[in-house]
Amino acid sequence: MNLSLQGHTYPPYRLRPSRALARKFMAALGDDREPQTVPPTYLVFLRGETLGVNLFEDLDIPREKALHGGQRYDWFSPVSFDDELDVTVHIDKITEKQGKRGTVWFADVTFEYRHAGSGALAVREVTRLVKQS
Amino acid sequence: MKSFAKGDVLFERKLASPGRGRVALFSTATEDPNPIHVDDAFAAKAGFPNVLQQGPMTTAQFALLLGEIAGEPALKSLDVTFTAPVYPQDELILRAEVTEVGTTIRCALSASKPDGAQTAKGIAELGVD
Repeated sequence: MNLSLQGHTYPPYRLRPSRALARKFMAALGDDREPQTVPPTYLVFLRGETLGVNLFEDLDIPREKALHGGQRYDWFSPVSFDDELDVTVHIDKITEKQGKRGTVWFADVTFEYRHAGSGALAVREVTRLVKQS
Repeated sequence: MKSFAKGDVLFERKLASPGRGRVALFSTATEDPNPIHVDDAFAAKAGFPNVLQQGPMTTAQFALLLGEIAGEPALKSLDVTFTAPVYPQDELILRAEVTEVGTTIRCALSASKPDGAQTAKGIAELGVD
């Protein structure tokens, strides 16, 4: 794990929720209806990978050693398909523990999604990435 | 939203297994390039018997069920910890129980396989308008 990235904040990137991807997101969950609203957890951390926030590579977490430990969402204001969002990603903390099968690292990363223009906070997601030794 | 009291079970819902097709579709929808969800050989290299279902699928199912019961605008927060691997062939039972009613409604969440093995746990908070 690249411990030096603790406290790092990435330059913000901008995204607009995709209705086509939201449709696939809902279909994957077993709901084939046309989504009328952006699904609450559609803003999943992985999207940042295509927009310059490649956490696995930057934190040195090989895919075969990676686990997703959990997610926390806080919702502050609605997001529609017409909204543009500015996303700021911050690596909050990296911790190391000794497990039964060796060292395990945890990286807690916060994604803040703000409405472009107003800057109003819409969604905050904290994701916990785990690297096994 | 109807009123809730401590101990009320908001839902206890058995979800059909998504199968590999829906797991692969979730990877596409979330732009997740991790082969562990679609490539058995890669999953084996990581120590799993076959490809894994994504943890965020469980989070998303919790959010949808909570939104169905309380209305999406009532969702304030959702905190889910993944405690065991889930495979595409797994059915899951998702449960939410009210633990506290105050300025928000607080719920304890759990996801488990039909044999009782827990795969996720968490807490949700709903607004009380």
